[in-house]
Amino acid sequence: MKRPGPLITLLAGLLLGLFMLSLNATTGTEAVSSTPKKKPPTVAASPAPTKTATPPSPSPSRVSVPDASYAGRTDDDSSAVAVTVRDRKAIAYFCDGHAKESWLKGDVRDDGSMRLTGKNGDVLNGTLKDGRRIRGTADVGGGHYGFTANRAKKPGALWRATTTVRGAKLDGGWIVLPGGKQVGILTRDGTPGAAPPIDPTTGAVTVDEQHLTARPATP
Amino acid sequence: MTVDPNAATQGFPSPEPVRRPAGAVRYLVPALAAAAVAVGLGVYGRVHDPAGTAFNLAGFSSTGAVKSWLATTAFFFALVQLVSALMVYGRLPGPRWASKLHRWSGRIAFLVAVPVAVHCLYALGYQTYETRVLLHSILGCFFFGVFSAKMLLLRSERLPGWLLPLVGGLVFTALTLIWLTSALWFFRTFGVTT
Repeated sequence: MKRPGPLITLLAGLLLGLFMLSLNATTGTEAVSSTPKKKPPTVAASPAPTKTATPPSPSPSRVSVPDASYAGRTDDDSSAVAVTVRDRKAIAYFCDGHAKESWLKGDVRDDGSMRLTGKNGDVLNGTLKDGRRIRGTADVGGGHYGFTANRAKKPGALWRATTTVRGAKLDGGWIVLPGGKQVGILTRDGTPGAAPPIDPTTGAVTVDEQHLTARPATP
Repeated sequence: MTVDPNAATQGFPSPEPVRRPAGAVRYLVPALAAAAVAVGLGVYGRVHDPAGTAFNLAGFSSTGAVKSWLATTAFFFALVQLVSALMVYGRLPGPRWASKLHRWSGRIAFLVAVPVAVHCLYALGYQTYETRVLLHSILGCFFFGVFSAKMLLLRSERLPGWLLPLVGGLVFTALTLIWLTSALWFFRTFGVTT
């Protein structure tokens, strides 16, 4: 045992790392959502770092609904659909990459089915199967589409950015499909058009030479 | 990279004192530790489902900005490391406290880099979708491995004279490349923001 210094340095780094990790594990998931959300009621106040917030009390009739996002294409391959579920609430985005898009919201029922509604009477019916995929139909803009959306990796398949750049109102929605292809629409002052690609891990996107950051869309 | 299925659970090896300074153990322990750390971090980053985001520091617009500035701080101290190492080895004229400077600037650089790495691994994971990202992922794991090796090597005496400069140079090179593929990219993409 000649020099303890280097070892202490290493251990300090290890401890710091573990400390930051536990800090992340306990607070990180809270920061994901920009909207205030209720904490699921936990039985005992256990400050132990839980990795994923598992839905409380999975009684037999209640299927487990993990917080996750799902993405896939419509059966006619014309459009993409993404759904993000959090705390048994869901937000969905239907997008053809050119002009047709719709944001829909609603609750996930105990059996894993959901009926999400959007503007102009748009409706999405879907059922979560095995926590891995959502199969359903979407009625958007007068069309009727069947779709299958598979579970996507974090940070998720559904991104949104709303901001104002030089007086122009921008509203962008992106779906990152399994395999990395993106479908998105950027609406500038009410005029929809194809959206530039985003960085699928950070949400960074360049619009009109402005650097924006899209956020994972949450219900 | 080859993945040793046992490595993920190893983490840091137990601080086993090297009783017999002679023999290959002196090199084997740091080398194994380096491999375990690098592979362990990589496997964690790959297997762990990235959380997407984590806590932020007050006063910064994004975690990217926080990390970039922390990484830049680490890189600055790494430059101090290079200069002070040259002083210690007599290649540059330096004060008598050059070795102390080297020790402490290294500690600061390492401790500043740790939160950045934690965020990378926790929120983003080991990614390969772009050359920059792939390089960054590999080098990030490599950096902490080779740094562990350097720290453990410092504990043994009568090493060949070229070994520490070589390993230290690897640490410095890795950190520089990590900084170039992350913080510099961030500043160029998003502007030098806080």
